[in-house]
Amino acid sequence: MQFTVEQKPRYAHITGTGRLNMVGAPRLREVVSKVVDEGSNHVVIDLGGTEFMDSSGLGALIGCLKLARQAGGDLRIANVRPQVRMVLELTSMHRVLNPYDTADAAFADD
Amino acid sequence: MTEPGSRRSRRGPADARTVDALHEDLDALWAEAGFVPDSDRMAFTLAVVEAAGNVVVHAVPAAEEPIELAVELAADPQRLEARIYEIGAAPAHVDLTGPMAQEHHESGRGLALIQALVSRVVFERHGDTNVWKLCRECGRDEA
Repeated sequence: MQFTVEQKPRYAHITGTGRLNMVGAPRLREVVSKVVDEGSNHVVIDLGGTEFMDSSGLGALIGCLKLARQAGGDLRIANVRPQVRMVLELTSMHRVLNPYDTADAAFADD
Repeated sequence: MTEPGSRRSRRGPADARTVDALHEDLDALWAEAGFVPDSDRMAFTLAVVEAAGNVVVHAVPAAEEPIELAVELAADPQRLEARIYEIGAAPAHVDLTGPMAQEHHESGRGLALIQALVSRVVFERHGDTNVWKLCRECGRDEA
C-alpha cells in the first residue's frame, strides 16, 4: 500500500492506495504516527484509492483515530469505496468513523 | 452433472505476505468466474482473507517447524467455497459464535465478520492440520 501526505491549511491529507490489510495496516500506523508527532492533529485519511480493507486495516484506523484524539485533534475518513463501506457497516464502525464524501468536507463544519 | 466452475489454490508460509498474495488468486478466480455477483465476490474475498489472517496471527506451531498456510478456492454459480489449512498447527478451539468487538478495540472483529459474510463456517482438525471450511451461497443477500 502506498501513502501520500499533504499538509492542507486545516488538516493533514493522507491518501492510501492499495490494500489496507495485514501488510498495509502497520504502514498506515507509521504514517499517521509521524504526521501527529510532527504537530498535525487534524487528519483526513482519503480512501478513494483503497480497494480493500480487512479487520486489521480497520484496527489500524481505530488506532490512528486514538492517536489523533490523544493529541487533541481528530481523524476522519473520506471518499470510501463500496468494500470499505461494507466493512464499516458490518462492524458498526461507521458510527465512529463516519465516512465523508470528500476530504475537504471532513473538517468543513468545525 | 458438470457445472462451470473455477478453482485456485496457494500454499506458503503462514505470514502476511502469503495473505497479501491470496488477493491475486481471488482476483484471478473472479476474472474467470464472471457469473459471480459483485456483492458475493466482495463478501467472500473478505471472509477468506479474514480466516487466512487469523491463521497468521493466532495459529500456534505443533512442533519446531513453522506453520504453513494453504488455501483452496472454488466458485460455481450456486456457491463459493474455500478450504484454509493451518498445516503443522497445534490443535485449537475457535469460537465462531463470539460477538463483534466493542468500538474502541483495535482487534477482535475477524471471526464475527466471517460469520456475517458466509453461509456456513466450520473449523475442524484433520491429522496435523486445522481446517477452515467456508461456504457462501451466491445471491443470498438478494433472497
